[in-house]
Amino acid sequence: MTIEEGAKFVAAAYAIILAVLMLYYVLSARRVNTLKRDVQLLEQEVQRRQIGAGGAGGE
Amino acid sequence: MKQLVSAPVLFVGAGIFLVTGLLLAFLYAPIDASTMGYSQKIFFYHAPIAETALVAFGVAFVAAILYLRSQDPRWDRLGVVSVRLGLVFSLLVMATGMIWGKAAWGTWWDWEPRLTTFLLVCFLYVAYFVLRSVVEEEQRRATFAAVFSIIAFIDVPITFFATRFLPAGMHPTVITMGGTGMPGSMFVSFFISMIGMTLLLVALIRRDLAVEELKDRVADLKNSIGG
Repeated sequence: MTIEEGAKFVAAAYAIILAVLMLYYVLSARRVNTLKRDVQLLEQEVQRRQIGAGGAGGE
Repeated sequence: MKQLVSAPVLFVGAGIFLVTGLLLAFLYAPIDASTMGYSQKIFFYHAPIAETALVAFGVAFVAAILYLRSQDPRWDRLGVVSVRLGLVFSLLVMATGMIWGKAAWGTWWDWEPRLTTFLLVCFLYVAYFVLRSVVEEEQRRATFAAVFSIIAFIDVPITFFATRFLPAGMHPTVITMGGTGMPGSMFVSFFISMIGMTLLLVALIRRDLAVEELKDRVADLKNSIGG
């Protein structure tokens, strides 16, 4: 097998590896950020409802 | 939770080792003298990814035992993320292995012991997620998954030792009790890539654990506000 022929196989293999690993890395990072934002919004909502309930109970 | 989310040092460390391993593989390690020639360079990531996939399934196996002993959901979460990452790495092993097979043997696939047992590992761990998806109740799901994970792991050492106990197959055995069977420069490149892949696995496990914990937190908060 010539170097040129071998290089095609090598390039294909490393392209798949790097593409999959980079994609997984990016997607998992985005997932963490999205979930952190969801937690923050939900915690604010819980806090808002607790304050609302406290205010209603006081009246 | 914050500790789990921030794992940049591990990712940077993994990146440094992986890039160094790749550079050494192409610039330092010699071109293989066998019929594979230049295409043997696939080995420098293919083998570490394969070892890392099996390590991930090993982590899931240990997590399954610890879950059955303690019923602590954290071990179930570790099992889930380890199997998921093990499958991702296995997918890469299968893909690069097929390319390797085409270059080395002239065929994309052969039903020889290593390839067949590795394919079986993949099917078993896909079945792990199928099992999880059909059990509704959380604790039962975790228990069934843990038991299944322990049973599925039986195929992992079989896969690892397939080329050693069944040497008639086409897949080469690189590391044996007698040594590595490759020049020192190749081994250094391989070993550095191996460290990089292991660090990457640890970093991804930590991040995915954080994802699972955040998902649970979101579910709890939604329950508490009646959503």
